[in-house]
Amino acid sequence: MSQHTQALFTRLEEIVGGPYVVTEGAEISAREVCGMLPAVVVRPANAAQIAEIVQFAATEKLAVIPTGGCSKLGIGSPPSRFDIALDLSRLNQVLAYDPKDLTLGVEPGVRIEDLLRTLGEQRQFLPLGVPFSDRATIGGIVAANSSSPLRHAYGAVRDFCLGMEFVTGEGAQAKSGGRVVKNVTGYDLHKLLIGSLGTLAVITRINFRTFPMPQAQKTFIASFSSAEAALDFCRSVAHSVLTPQLVEVADPSAGQLIFSGEAFARISPGLWSVIITAAGQPSVVDRYAHELGHMAAAASAAEFVPVEEDAHFALFERIQEFPRLALEAAPQAAIFRLSALPNAMPSLISKLTAIAKQSHADVATLARASGILYAVFVAESSESLESLAAAIPEVFRACSQPEMQASAMLEWCPKELKTAPEVVWGPVRPDFELMNRVKKSFDPQNVLAPGRFAGGI
Amino acid sequence: MQPQLIRDLQALLAPGAVLYSAEDLMLYEYDGSVDLGSPRCVVFPSSAHDVSGIVKLANRYETPIVGRGAGTGLSGGAIARSGGIVIVFSRMNRILEIDEANLRAVVQPGVVNLDLSRAVEHLGLFFAPDPSSQKACTIGGNVSENSGGPHTLAYGVTTNHVTGIELVLTDGEIVRIGGKNIETAGYDLDGFLVGSEGTLALVTEITVRLMRKPEAVKTLLAVYDTLDDTTESVVDITVRAITPAACEMLDGFTLRAVEDYVHAGFPKDCAAVLLIEVEGLKEAVEAQAAEITEVCREHRAREVRAARTDQERNLLWRGRKEAFGAMGRISPMYYVQDGVIPRTRLPETLRRIEEISKKYDLLIGNIFHAGDGNLHPLILFDERDAAQFARVVAAGGEIMRHCVDVGGALTGEHGIGMEKNELMPLIFTSDDLALMERVRSAFNPASLLNPGKVLPMGKACGEIRVPQSPAATAMAT
Repeated sequence: MSQHTQALFTRLEEIVGGPYVVTEGAEISAREVCGMLPAVVVRPANAAQIAEIVQFAATEKLAVIPTGGCSKLGIGSPPSRFDIALDLSRLNQVLAYDPKDLTLGVEPGVRIEDLLRTLGEQRQFLPLGVPFSDRATIGGIVAANSSSPLRHAYGAVRDFCLGMEFVTGEGAQAKSGGRVVKNVTGYDLHKLLIGSLGTLAVITRINFRTFPMPQAQKTFIASFSSAEAALDFCRSVAHSVLTPQLVEVADPSAGQLIFSGEAFARISPGLWSVIITAAGQPSVVDRYAHELGHMAAAASAAEFVPVEEDAHFALFERIQEFPRLALEAAPQAAIFRLSALPNAMPSLISKLTAIAKQSHADVATLARASGILYAVFVAESSESLESLAAAIPEVFRACSQPEMQASAMLEWCPKELKTAPEVVWGPVRPDFELMNRVKKSFDPQNVLAPGRFAGGI
Repeated sequence: MQPQLIRDLQALLAPGAVLYSAEDLMLYEYDGSVDLGSPRCVVFPSSAHDVSGIVKLANRYETPIVGRGAGTGLSGGAIARSGGIVIVFSRMNRILEIDEANLRAVVQPGVVNLDLSRAVEHLGLFFAPDPSSQKACTIGGNVSENSGGPHTLAYGVTTNHVTGIELVLTDGEIVRIGGKNIETAGYDLDGFLVGSEGTLALVTEITVRLMRKPEAVKTLLAVYDTLDDTTESVVDITVRAITPAACEMLDGFTLRAVEDYVHAGFPKDCAAVLLIEVEGLKEAVEAQAAEITEVCREHRAREVRAARTDQERNLLWRGRKEAFGAMGRISPMYYVQDGVIPRTRLPETLRRIEEISKKYDLLIGNIFHAGDGNLHPLILFDERDAAQFARVVAAGGEIMRHCVDVGGALTGEHGIGMEKNELMPLIFTSDDLALMERVRSAFNPASLLNPGKVLPMGKACGEIRVPQSPAATAMAT
């Protein structure tokens, strides 16, 4: 902090009230971002207070990072400065929920678990099966654009977010979009905030469309002896008339993480697994069981099993928590989030395996039908970071090959490895200058999460 | 007049790619809206390189530039409000790649929407956004306006189907954003630029998602004796979590005009019909059709029938898609609105439109995307009657205000353009608009690109002064 003066804390206390300004203890250490700690945690009650805090920070040249459940503060490159952690946990209200209209307006601090429970009471949901679901907040999920296996069927936040209200880096309260399901009124500024890691604005309200729960759901697991066979099976599903809710391909190591636990004891180790969930009317789900079984047999699946009714949700949770399971098993892991086309997936996975081997690391992959691939690199010798440091640039290099056309971001890795923004974000994108212009429009004084984003934005 | 500009453009572009005579320009003075504006010249680039060259010339001559596809837009987006150069993309109309395995197509902006679906039909694929003008409108225009269509209820609008774009920026630089992948690390510039109405950059190439055709489709026609029963059915379909692929409403007045024109078999003595389509696996389609039929019957539909053949289905859809054209048979002009409301507010909103129609002594037809609350009231008028046109504008303003009052939006798919830019303060605060203005300036600093669109004119510092749209001025008051 540029000046740890009492005057500064006093000013923050004036804005939010004494009990909501914390300067030491666990509240501070919980908000570590890549080794940096804030001088103060402030818990505003509303958008007006946030605006005041950000205005104050802009005047004093202080850096502000918004936080929610603190589950994803490790994502991104290290901030260049960090003075004020803006804890949004008091903005935790569902502001408008009209189940009949299937629309919803929420504050960012609402925890996803609570939100899904509220929606569940009306037999509705948001397709956000995201990691750290026990503490993740909706604001954090949107700001990190967390990956959900349900994207395949329902789209991502960019597809079902209707509008947002937010506070810019100058402390102005603004909004874009609206509350109706179809809308082209004005610029879609809110789209820019999705996945922006708090670098453009502090989100104060998010409007969504909600989805009705399917009448029935059933999950199937087909296992294969090779990646090629598993991905071929996926391709045949993709080319069929079936439109499953999710399709995930776990390599044997990823399978081990996902299938541990009694409910899934029937899954054989060492195989590639394709997990497919069908949803819809009971007659539709029956049809899936029938057709998927045939397709699996035609693709020489080693096994094809339906998941027991009572294990369905437990398995879904393991899939959605995959990055977290990987981090729990290996806290020093480097986890890439890649985006690749179905056709490039087999060669990308085999390239990742080759990179791991060369760098004396192991890799576990989980591929989503939507085109997202998680790749978890763990060094063979867990004390040494060298092998990960060697593997990371190789992954970005592989993605940039014309035949791969993949995009990558290093979502998680030991903070010691984050020596430059490129380590996390890869080579600077050709449209970096445009991103920079966007940043300057929202946050001209670089108050919000400086340095955390691609290219050091 | 700087004839040197024309000569420079001629030197840059292929022969015949520059129009500047008064009679040639007349064709490009209007689009599908009620607004007008005369360009100084119209150019037809063949490549992004051409577009870049045009933009550089426009900078040198400080001349506005307006991108234009087929000119079917309904909010004046493609109109040269401040004169200048209109860039028509009709020569950039090639489908560059169809990537069946990855369900992507790469197209130039001038590709006609329906042509893309036709080009991939043999593969069992289609391009989902389906505006009623899809036989003519271009994908570049769809990207600019973030166009919708009846089937966006299930498939989403244009922005949900674009994964990459190539842009020419206002300094002439050519930049690629995104690609075939569903995401790239960084800000979602694709999501932001789609729907920016040609005010931030010119789009020269687009990568879109292709969808696989469903196994089964069923089209239902539900016929009602009252408007209330019709709208209540729509509310109930949404409430019961049934998600049809399309749910369109045509009121009796519109129907009669359509039926005389298309002969689709619509009953001419009813108050309204719903045209509902369900898609998916056979089992899902049967189950959903049964549920929808039940809901419609509960709301006193006097008849619910399913199209028995593809021909019957196509005829029903032709009736819907050519409805605007059919209106041309009974009125010299119409003014179409595009307000959106929460779907639960449909019944009261239709009643309100009826009141407004009586109050201003105007004929208003209703034909719209009921399933997502996107209204299209068509106010009929004769442009030779100035007093009547003033009433049209006032009635339109009242409908718009009602939409805003019930928590809706000014436009669902037609865009703000020069028609509704002065109404933006009904939705947005000065802080909201100042930020939008700042982002626009970051991309389009001299306001050369499509000036006088989207944002209210008063907001734009240093913007080239342009005449006010009569419709917008009257409505804002």
